[in-house]
Amino acid sequence: MKFGLFFEHQLPRPYDRDDWDPDAEHQVMKHALDQVELADRLGFDYVFEVEHHFLEEYSHSSAPEVFLAAASQRTKQIRLGHGIALMPPRYNHPARVAERIATLDLVSDGRVEFGTGESASEMELGGFGVPREEKKLMWEEATRECVKMMTQSPYPGYEGAYFGMPPRNVIPKPLQKPHPPLWVASSRRETTMVAARLGMGSLGFAFETPEEAHERVEQYFELVREECTPIGVAINPALAVLSSLSCFETDAEAVEKGKEGTQFFSYSLGYYYSPLGAAHEPSKTHIYRRFIDTPEEQRMGILGGRGFGGFGGGDEEVEPEDEVKRALWRAAKRGGCIGSPDFVRDTLRKYEDAHLDVMIFVAQAGARKHEDVMDSIYRFGTKVLPEFQERHAMHERWRAEQLAGVEFPVNSSI
Amino acid sequence: MAKVDRIQDERLRISMQAAHTSLRAGDHADVVQRAGEAYIELLRRKPELLQGEGFQRQMRIFMFPRLGAHLEVEGGIPVRVAFDRQHFGFTEAVTYYEFAVDNLVREGL
Repeated sequence: MKFGLFFEHQLPRPYDRDDWDPDAEHQVMKHALDQVELADRLGFDYVFEVEHHFLEEYSHSSAPEVFLAAASQRTKQIRLGHGIALMPPRYNHPARVAERIATLDLVSDGRVEFGTGESASEMELGGFGVPREEKKLMWEEATRECVKMMTQSPYPGYEGAYFGMPPRNVIPKPLQKPHPPLWVASSRRETTMVAARLGMGSLGFAFETPEEAHERVEQYFELVREECTPIGVAINPALAVLSSLSCFETDAEAVEKGKEGTQFFSYSLGYYYSPLGAAHEPSKTHIYRRFIDTPEEQRMGILGGRGFGGFGGGDEEVEPEDEVKRALWRAAKRGGCIGSPDFVRDTLRKYEDAHLDVMIFVAQAGARKHEDVMDSIYRFGTKVLPEFQERHAMHERWRAEQLAGVEFPVNSSI
Repeated sequence: MAKVDRIQDERLRISMQAAHTSLRAGDHADVVQRAGEAYIELLRRKPELLQGEGFQRQMRIFMFPRLGAHLEVEGGIPVRVAFDRQHFGFTEAVTYYEFAVDNLVREGL
């Protein structure tokens, strides 16, 4: 199993003020670059950077290609993942995506992971005029054509439902041939099965349990073998899931330093992906203050099905049935990889046994201190990561068995 | 074993197997239609899934993907699949198909 870091660039407003410190966004970017640099030195395999727009406090990462380009010049081996690039053309013209991906691949000496997706928050869809019911069609069309732009000279042109362009040679071309590994964000189980059928990696942003991961891995590889029609030229058979990371000497210290950040991550995510988010008042709503002012036992009510009308919560001990809300609930409730190195190691072994390819950690979350994030990354990288690296060859052999008979070209960094 | 083969109810299993055939053949509208009908049938046979508070009932209906089709509701109960458009992409059809199969298997039908 491989490991990555996941960045939203979370930036809660100060509790007692209505706006951020003037240097706050600058600091969060610089700190994140320090964290990536450390992860690279320790042997982490990936950094994945989101693309979100207008999601104040939750994510100040609207130009991931810029951040990843900066990271590329401070690192040597870590792979640089879009987690994900928003593909509906009203966010990004497919040719512009192809150009950026290729340029990043060139300046990073071929370290790009091309994650794709649609987004689902009303703030973003509404902000760019993307109809919710058509976003998946837009994603499919734009992603398919974008990959052609990276691989065909010239690109022969296209007239589709959501964009069109005449024949052009879209340049530069990526260093990795035929193109960087392809991924799709899979917050819902159904999308993981879409990924398998299209030969894409599944970036599961859903905080799955090991048992769920095991079932998905089995079904995913079965579909890759039996029903795959690649959307690109090369397939990237891979499954990644997300977890929270707060790794300290003791479980108690890890919870103390990591709990609130993890809860805020889930709370603010749930906020923007609920009807509350659709009613968000830009530059006015103070999410962190609402979070803090809500009794802790009720904070996750927003994610629990009964809390959508407010933060009242309700029966927080009952897992929501809806897959997305359940994932959010678990992220907050279970805390992911929050604990001592022993606790984190034991947790991760279950995912390793499930043959998961990549575990991606949210280390920077909420108001966690930069020093604590660095400390946590360092402790994981020195006390937990090495043994998983040593066992990865076994996983590679397992993958080779799963992919026996698959005749498509493969470009995968697993 | 493909997940669709784990559907215990013969009629639903045959219908979803036909949906799978349509998926492979590119008849995406048929996939959406069959997936929607199967989900309605699931809710009809398991009315307890629609019990509870208003919000929870709404979520059961709302969980059905809204990617060009939705469930028409009468008296709080989904009764038919309504198409907002006639053309569906491959990924949309897969989403509807997987949603239906997963729910049928999970609920033991």
